[in-house]
Amino acid sequence: MIDLAVNRRTPVLVQGITGRAGRQHTRLMRGYGTNIVAGVSPARDVGDLDGIPVFAGCRDAVAATGATASVLFVGAMQLLGAIREAVEAGIRLIVTPTEGMPVHDALAALRLTRAAGVAWVGASTPGMAVPGEAKLGFLPDSSLLPGPLGIVSKSGTLSYEAGYRLVQHGIGQSVWIGVGGDPVKGTRFAELVPFYAAHRPTRAVLIIGEIGGSEEEEFARALTERQFTKPVFALIAGRSSPQGVTMGHAGALVHGKHGSYAAKKEALEAAGVRVFATLDEMAAGIRAWHAS
Amino acid sequence: MYLVEHDAKALLAARGIPVPKGALVTDAEELPSLPPGPWVVKAQVPAGGRGKAGGVRRADTEAAVREAVSEILRLHIAGRRVRECRIEERVSFAHEAYASILLDPVSAAVRVLLAPRGGMDIESLAEETGLVRSGLCDPDAASIAACAAGLARDLPHPLGAALGSAIHQLAAAFCAYECTLLEVNPLFVMPDGTWCAGDAKMITDDSALPRQSAVAALLERRAHAYPEAHLKLHHGCDYVVVDPEGEIGLLTTGAGLSMMLIDELRASGLKPYNFLDVRTGGLRGDPTRLIHVLEWIAQGPRVKVLLVNIFAGITDLGEFARLLLAALRSVPEFRAPVVARLVGNGFEAARAALAEGDIPVVTDLEVAVSRVREKLGVEAA
Repeated sequence: MIDLAVNRRTPVLVQGITGRAGRQHTRLMRGYGTNIVAGVSPARDVGDLDGIPVFAGCRDAVAATGATASVLFVGAMQLLGAIREAVEAGIRLIVTPTEGMPVHDALAALRLTRAAGVAWVGASTPGMAVPGEAKLGFLPDSSLLPGPLGIVSKSGTLSYEAGYRLVQHGIGQSVWIGVGGDPVKGTRFAELVPFYAAHRPTRAVLIIGEIGGSEEEEFARALTERQFTKPVFALIAGRSSPQGVTMGHAGALVHGKHGSYAAKKEALEAAGVRVFATLDEMAAGIRAWHAS
Repeated sequence: MYLVEHDAKALLAARGIPVPKGALVTDAEELPSLPPGPWVVKAQVPAGGRGKAGGVRRADTEAAVREAVSEILRLHIAGRRVRECRIEERVSFAHEAYASILLDPVSAAVRVLLAPRGGMDIESLAEETGLVRSGLCDPDAASIAACAAGLARDLPHPLGAALGSAIHQLAAAFCAYECTLLEVNPLFVMPDGTWCAGDAKMITDDSALPRQSAVAALLERRAHAYPEAHLKLHHGCDYVVVDPEGEIGLLTTGAGLSMMLIDELRASGLKPYNFLDVRTGGLRGDPTRLIHVLEWIAQGPRVKVLLVNIFAGITDLGEFARLLLAALRSVPEFRAPVVARLVGNGFEAARAALAEGDIPVVTDLEVAVSRVREKLGVEAA
């Protein structure tokens, strides 16, 4: 089972730490409380960033600091190589916010992380967070609050909005995982079912999906097979989207019956999930559960 | 990118895969030089079910071709207006089989599907027990071909050999073009064992375009057929006109939130014009992308209001507000009133900046939508 319960002591490496995004988000993650212990950069002669030691390669960084997780701010065409480097250095959890990773590269990365038993979250994700402990990526602080709800989402922005509305009513999250909007990815919704089943602080799960692919249907099957007993809520975007057009996320493509909203809603409801049509209904439904 | 049949066949033919001769036409009065008849005329839209929708017709004379083209060009299929047809040499006396190759994200492998009969959609073929043969293999051309050869082993001559040879070539194309799906249905098998691709459904990976020169060249040549992919490649954002008659222009970031907003607006009886993931995090202090977006939205003949919705994860809203004002000044033809809903870093700076442009800012999406209703002069549903 994937263990994603990072905490404030988890030693985190940042690959691509001297790039624009790497620099900015290293500071923000650290500000949130994430234990960033090292960076990797292809730039020469970078000794440190705000006191964080910067290394030329993952192997040296891991050997010197004992980092077990890595966040990668690396270009899409270099991402497969960077993931391979992290796996070979012994990193156990990899988070890749990068958008636009070629799908065949993602398949190769998935094969190598699975073979090594390494957890990979992404690509095209704002990352993940255990509120009050650490965040790996750039989930906005205004949407984060420690609480009982597990959030899993394909979309970044829609999850920010959902989290923000619930936080305004005092409902926070246990572990928040952005699985990302790509068709081939490191962690799929269904793979998180055993984790949330065993994770005691999680008392309910909100899944934020969208049209395209079959992840919501797989998730529904996994809930039934695992006899998941915690309440599950869902919000699925794209019910009025045209077919044959990619709606922003590479995975959000409906062709024929494949990936349609109706198929997802039906599968989720058959597994006992409450599927909400709007953000408002979602917030009201989860508040009612929380109050009970 | 879901390629239309004509383009998928051009890419396959470029790799030596046999396809019936065909020509693309956009006007019944101006037929290009045709391959030898009789013909089949096929609507070119990225959707299945073209036959059932009346988008595939046979024609034996040039006059019949003209008639078929003009009728098909009046159709809407899967919500899209048909703008192009492929006029193709009709293949006779062939057996119809089915072959497809697709990425299987769950098993991190490639799935191969073969059926000794084709012509109808895969869901219908799969209803007949034992008809569709399925295998999983490693994602390289040699493994795919070996997997297919195993699946076709016990099929009668010449079908088995023809399918084996077809998948061998299709697998190489699938890998070379970095497809996520390549389906040939029907795959025509002649009595002498030769074969050709009767239809082709190909989905390529937009993210691989920087290293896929043939697909990228096709996209440049045929930009009008793939406006969304072309725009993303050149402007770094996703934009789709979802309703040409729409009244609300959307300036939004994030694919999921933008889709959800469209769903909610429509459910409450409002008419959004476009989907947009502008990626405010990637503007880097330059208003150019916002200027383009405003120019595109300005083309919507019924757009009466612009709704800006930015939930900033990584964006500095103060900078965004300054860029938005600069963009609005650069596109004077865009005169619709603006309603802005912003949340995130730099909110106060953004509110102050937009106030100078007489743009009110709210933090609650519901309030923003009710302001949009006021601008449109419609009552709440």
